[in-house]
Amino acid sequence: MLEIRNLSSGYRDALVLRDFDCRIAGGRVTALMGRNGMGKTTLLKTIMGLIAARTGTISFDGEMLQNLSTHLISRAGIGYVPQGREIFDGFTVFENLRLSLLGHEGGEPLPIAQIYDWFPILKERAEQKAGTFSGGQQQILAIARALIGRPKMLLLDEPTEGIQPSIVHEIGLQLGKIARDTGLGILIVEQNVDMVRTLADHVLFMENGSIRESCDIEALRRDDSLLHRYLSV
Amino acid sequence: MSELFPIILDASSYILILVLVALGLMIVFGMMGVINMAHGELFMIGAYVMVMAQGLGLPFLAGIILAPLVVGFLGLLIETALIRHIYHRPLDTILATWGLSIALKQLIVLIFGPESHSVALPIDGSVTLGAFTYPIYRLILMAVSAALIGGTFWLFVKTDFGLKARAVIARPDTAATLGIDTRRMYRWSFVIGTALAGLAGALVAPIISVDPQMGLGYLVPGFLSILVGGAGPLAGVLVGGAVVGGVSNLLAVWISPVAALITVYIIAILIIRLKPEGLLGGRRAK
Repeated sequence: MLEIRNLSSGYRDALVLRDFDCRIAGGRVTALMGRNGMGKTTLLKTIMGLIAARTGTISFDGEMLQNLSTHLISRAGIGYVPQGREIFDGFTVFENLRLSLLGHEGGEPLPIAQIYDWFPILKERAEQKAGTFSGGQQQILAIARALIGRPKMLLLDEPTEGIQPSIVHEIGLQLGKIARDTGLGILIVEQNVDMVRTLADHVLFMENGSIRESCDIEALRRDDSLLHRYLSV
Repeated sequence: MSELFPIILDASSYILILVLVALGLMIVFGMMGVINMAHGELFMIGAYVMVMAQGLGLPFLAGIILAPLVVGFLGLLIETALIRHIYHRPLDTILATWGLSIALKQLIVLIFGPESHSVALPIDGSVTLGAFTYPIYRLILMAVSAALIGGTFWLFVKTDFGLKARAVIARPDTAATLGIDTRRMYRWSFVIGTALAGLAGALVAPIISVDPQMGLGYLVPGFLSILVGGAGPLAGVLVGGAVVGGVSNLLAVWISPVAALITVYIIAILIIRLKPEGLLGGRRAK
């Protein structure tokens, strides 16, 4: 359980999140939706310690994260797949995975064999430079890299951005399977409604730096007026 | 032909020492965005450790081992007290480390005085090959420098430490989200960079005059090597060092030291004008 209370965070003079509260349950997939500029990415970066929280608390399974540095947050069991993927272009696929393994030395990282089992393409192309991958393949690598730390909660920031639809669907199905098999909790920031419908159990709608509404996925399937209201789809 | 040999060997040994100094500068700059103006003084302190070791009657090898340890420890102190507060603020690092360089220089003047010192050669012989003779120590110096450069490349290209270091250079935030302790990587890379400078200082101490101003003579060409070679791939230092060191050393012998300096600066300006990223390209694209 990721529990955020009275969180304020932002950039220099601009406060993006003000007294933000929310709870993200472990072991299920929560989608966070909202238009651009509503603070979704800021929220994920603040949870990861990439942006310092000014006030408030972030607790994860009882451990306070808001004053920890990023690598300790990662080791506390939070995986992060940033917007734009940010894989290491000049490294091989294997080196990208190995790096995450090194970052979680001393913990219990996932064996790379398990990753290859889930994503066979990474095994086939292990020695290929990651920069030569297509957008979808890079996304798979970024997700795999985050999973190596055996996170209990995975934060995904717009994983479908700029990726062809067939791969989006494939990634959605595979992630859903991994989450069900391993009990992984996922918080996914996403604008792609199909991805949310494929993967999510629960949806939060965010506007102007706070959560305005939430519903489970069945409710969203029956009635998509919330999508119109918060995404103007 | 035979008179060319010593000149080429001299140039090569200068290039190797220059690369060793520039390598430390580049690790610190490439990784942390820190332009370390005190790098030349750390090199100087390495030479003074050797002076002191000999003054105490310790064997030469003890000086070679002590210099990187002492200077590396100094680097650790500098990192903790100063550098870690100004990472990725190049202008501030220039000012802060420039101030530090002045302080270190004065400290040496206070302890050892402003005059120059000399270090006895550990091996006095020379090698005779046909018509020319060459001091053995210079040959050893070249071999050791080349091995150190090779070792540093190996560390950064082939080992797990190197993989983490290169990741932190390319994308520090992303590396941290994968559990890499970036602060620790910065710290140890800085210590490695300074220890290399100290070791280089100790190695050249027997063949130059050791004085409080000696750092600048290596700092400036060291920076030029990075500019000329490019601050991206580590190999840029090799190319830059070869161009800057080779031209300045060969022309100094054939024409005059002044002509050599002028030529080196003209080459540097031309390269920076025509290829602003340096010969091997700038910081690698992410």
